[in-house]
Amino acid sequence: MKLKVYADRMSQPSRAVIIFCKVNVIDYEEIKVLISKGQHLTSEFAEINPMKRLPAIVDGRFKLFESHAILIYLACAFPGVADHWYPADVAKRSRIHSVLDWHHSNLRRGADTYVSNATIAPVVGRPLNPQAAAEAETLLSSSLSKLESFWLKDAGRFLLGGNQPSIADLSLVCEIMELEVLDEKDRARFLGPHKKVQRWIENTRSATNPHFDEVHEVCRH
Amino acid sequence: MTLKIYADRMSQPSRAVIIFCKMNGIDYEEIKVHISKGQHLTSEFAEINPMKQLPAIADGRFKLFESHAILIYLASAFPGVADHWYPADVSRRSRIHSVLDWHHSNLRRGAATYVFNTTIAPVLGRPLNPQAAAVAEPILSSALSKLESFWLKGNGRFLLGGNQPSIADLSLVCAIMQLEVLDEKERARLLGPHKKIQQWIEITRNATSPHFDEVHKVLMKAKEKLQNQRLKAAKNEEGGSDMKKALPSRL
Repeated sequence: MKLKVYADRMSQPSRAVIIFCKVNVIDYEEIKVLISKGQHLTSEFAEINPMKRLPAIVDGRFKLFESHAILIYLACAFPGVADHWYPADVAKRSRIHSVLDWHHSNLRRGADTYVSNATIAPVVGRPLNPQAAAEAETLLSSSLSKLESFWLKDAGRFLLGGNQPSIADLSLVCEIMELEVLDEKDRARFLGPHKKVQRWIENTRSATNPHFDEVHEVCRH
Repeated sequence: MTLKIYADRMSQPSRAVIIFCKMNGIDYEEIKVHISKGQHLTSEFAEINPMKQLPAIADGRFKLFESHAILIYLASAFPGVADHWYPADVSRRSRIHSVLDWHHSNLRRGAATYVFNTTIAPVLGRPLNPQAAAVAEPILSSALSKLESFWLKGNGRFLLGGNQPSIADLSLVCAIMQLEVLDEKERARLLGPHKKIQQWIEITRNATSPHFDEVHKVLMKAKEKLQNQRLKAAKNEEGGSDMKKALPSRL
């Protein structure tokens, strides 16, 4: 039975999982669950993921949610996934866990909250919240600074000094791509100061194209 | 060179890492970094962890922060750690990753923010923030409900139906222990409805005894201090009318 990936391409972590599958030629069926239509809130989807969030996967009878757990599972359970995605080396792997953990309360929270409040909220039917957006802006800015000065400080094209992408690059870059839905000036304000971050986004995009661009088409409308 | 653990036992994730090391006979040196004294904000500590958070470890030249990454590293890098802490089986391991990931934005966020902004902040030199607490409370309540109804469903004694503790049990129970410093009524209101959670906390505590209690002493001391302050404040309120009578003679 084929792997099922429940996803909404408007969801950053959904995109990371889909791009990973495409790049690694993992055979899967994408089941679109549209957040803007509330499809993640149905009782059917709750059977897949009681937290009502995306992405989620079903591999045979095994169900899993949380994109980092999913990416790690796919890297380990499917043959032919190159080591650089999730290295066997304990120290390298731990650093990937470290940035993926940091991500939740920093880049993810900052970017997602800011963009939701600033832009997408009217589309999904919830009101804008300027105060939450202001707090999120601070968090987003500080996260981008930390990416520039720490996570990308070593001589490498990817996070943690890597010369090949890992699941962490995919997860974090997909998050930053959410900023594409902001207007040009806003986006330039956040990303403009960070040259390493900009280069790294391009590196990750090149390393995973044409899938990266194809999966990100939804952000460009 | 011995593993160094930079920790503050008032910090929930610091406690999880220390208890794990003690349980598994991992040789380490605990370097206390006191948040209440701002020691996590020094440039020396920034050399260890530029994010200025606890816990952090240094194993030889290898430095690491984020408690889940640390727990996984320790389980993988040190010999003699029993499989149940971080199973080799890919599916079981993935479920542990799933709950540890969920934890960040749910139980951790709800519990830490709520307790900090209603109670602990002054202990760490910061003001209480009832507005932030109000935002955190529903996150905490919903996280506890999800623990009770989903993560603890099934017949196991631990999370995900396990019959032995994993690093996830340690991480999440240490987070819930922070609620100990709340006023009794508050704590009962939040935890009272959740029988499975209460049982699971006890089971985890027993499974990691005597280290669990020893490592939680600092928190329990803070709890006692806060309880005494509350009693004093309540007494002062009662004695308020007597004080008013005494005042004119002092003017």
